[in-house]
Amino acid sequence: MFRRAVLALGFVGMLVAPVAASAAEPIKIGFPIPLSGPTATYGVPILKGAELAVAEINAKGGVLGRPLELLPRDSKANADEAVRLARELIIRDNVDFLAGTLTSAEAPAVSTVAKENKIVFVAPIAKTTRLTAPENLHPYIFRLSSNTDIEGKAAATLIARWTDVKRVATIAPDYAYGRDAVAAFIANLKKLRPDIEIVDQQWPKLGEPDFTAFITAQMGKKPDAVMCDLFAGDFETFSKEARPLGYFKAIDNRLVDGAEVGTVDEAQALGADYPFGIISDTYDPVVWSGNEPAAHKAYIEHLKAFTKSKYGSGWSIMGYQSIEALADGITRAGSTDEQKVAGAMLGLTFDTPVGNRTINPKTHETDSGEFWGVMVKQAAYPFAVMKNPEFLPAAAPTN
Amino acid sequence: MAASFLFSQFMGGLTTAMFLFLIASGLSLVFGVMRVLNFAHGSFYMIGAYLAWQAMQWLHPLAAGFWPAALLAALGVALLGAIVERLLLRHLYGREELYQLLLTYALVLILGDVAKFIWGTGQLSVSTPPGLGGSIQILGTTQPLYSLFIIALGPAIAVAGWLVLNRTGAGRMVRAASYDREMLDALGADVGLIYTGMFVVSSFLAGLSGALVTPIESIVPGMDVLIIVQAFIVVVIGGMGSLWGTFWGSVIYGQVLAFGILIFPGFSLFSVFALMAVILIVRPWGLFGRPV
Repeated sequence: MFRRAVLALGFVGMLVAPVAASAAEPIKIGFPIPLSGPTATYGVPILKGAELAVAEINAKGGVLGRPLELLPRDSKANADEAVRLARELIIRDNVDFLAGTLTSAEAPAVSTVAKENKIVFVAPIAKTTRLTAPENLHPYIFRLSSNTDIEGKAAATLIARWTDVKRVATIAPDYAYGRDAVAAFIANLKKLRPDIEIVDQQWPKLGEPDFTAFITAQMGKKPDAVMCDLFAGDFETFSKEARPLGYFKAIDNRLVDGAEVGTVDEAQALGADYPFGIISDTYDPVVWSGNEPAAHKAYIEHLKAFTKSKYGSGWSIMGYQSIEALADGITRAGSTDEQKVAGAMLGLTFDTPVGNRTINPKTHETDSGEFWGVMVKQAAYPFAVMKNPEFLPAAAPTN
Repeated sequence: MAASFLFSQFMGGLTTAMFLFLIASGLSLVFGVMRVLNFAHGSFYMIGAYLAWQAMQWLHPLAAGFWPAALLAALGVALLGAIVERLLLRHLYGREELYQLLLTYALVLILGDVAKFIWGTGQLSVSTPPGLGGSIQILGTTQPLYSLFIIALGPAIAVAGWLVLNRTGAGRMVRAASYDREMLDALGADVGLIYTGMFVVSSFLAGLSGALVTPIESIVPGMDVLIIVQAFIVVVIGGMGSLWGTFWGSVIYGQVLAFGILIFPGFSLFSVFALMAVILIVRPWGLFGRPV
């Protein structure tokens, strides 16, 4: 009898509990991102950045008096899987908002789910212009990352500064990202420096195991400078093979890579094998040789402690920003109503450790540039460090 | 087009070719003798690369740690090959080929996940061994010493393999096993031992090529699947089971890739697949294979 009474009590308790908790019910944010497979190299630090932002906001009392709750899911860098997870997060887990995704395949796919379900979705990484092209734009999609037009313009600006460069070559992976970025680069370069000739274009496939033939073919065309869009393992293989062939010496290290090989992550992976002297980009230089903003210094200390890593990651900032933007949007709307939040995000200016970002109400993007600089050796670090990071392009590209 | 430019393109193609020969030779050998199409050969190659990196970490204090690390990696993969052959593959001889395909494909998936579990999903890197990091000038072009080493190693392995197969008692047994397994068995030879030996040698070659590729390529999950496709193309061009066929198949693959890039710069893979299609139409058994 006693046992039955306890059971009954417990049962009643279970029914009552959710009602009692509703006063401070968390605001749920679904976060599909690759956590396994080769792209987990990016996905994991991005998620860590988002988790840090959630922890910091909750420590200060949350948003509208409610804590944030992050629901990460492994998208495996697969668009179908990301769509399935996004639907599941909305229907089964009742998430209020979506953030995350990595590749230019996942983000547009999840964006259509956000449109169908009228759920605000913040994409922090995908660079494809398709995501926010006029025919795909809807009230609930927002992008914080750069895009291929912006990247192409920044790379063109940097190469145009070398006044004695007349012959330029490109090498980029043969899929949408590489093709779009190179097209934008060439269009911008033609405007800035009509005297420059594009003498060679190489299109190795993504994951190409051997770049030797591409490298020697490019060297044969004798370029003065190169625009490159290889990244991660591809960039490492490429630079390891290119250096002994005298590739970097032949172009006097005048290579601009727009695919974020300027992150501390990539620099650490390559260590002493990094092709020092090239120019690359990152959303966050992390190791900031130059005038570092105070907010950034504090953020990196928090990140290092939070992830228990020695140097942190250049990708975490984008996960961090996606939560900051959402939190500020909710605060500005004064509610979690999707329509109100979507409206509040238009023209929203939010503060980040790397400077203010404003969401352009027309494009739904922050039109964000990135930090660019020469990657140099520094005695204090066993890997390449970005010298005097410069935020480029200063203004959004005009098309 | 300058002669020196054509020469460096040729040398680049030759480096690609000799790497491919190192990996494809083991694949071709196992098919020729055992009639087993080993999908997991690329996985053995990947494990060799990871083991080489791991051994480098252990031997780190030694500056010239690369060579012992490469040897350790190759031996480790040879041991893995012995286990796979003795415990798994052994039970499937004489059955339909489909079963062997299923088993070796399952191994691809399992070894891929095991590698991710142990070494993570990030890229790993090994530096060029001291002494071979530089380059020299040949005919007005810059040639990396490490590439020259690989270009020399390829033919050396081919000749050594040919000598063992054609000039030694063990080689005679292997050739006999490839022609008529049952007759050899009836004559009292230990065919099981020959098969294990073949598989171990093939795994050793896969592990060695995986280790030797680390100074010029990054070690990443997925390198197993990429390489097995290329190795298959080489073996198909040269003729399944023929050592020299694999050698010349690799040379042709490397050169077609190197010069194909010059002719069709936007379609780097087109020329190689076009070549394979043509050869399969004209000689379905490959350049050096026997019609079956």
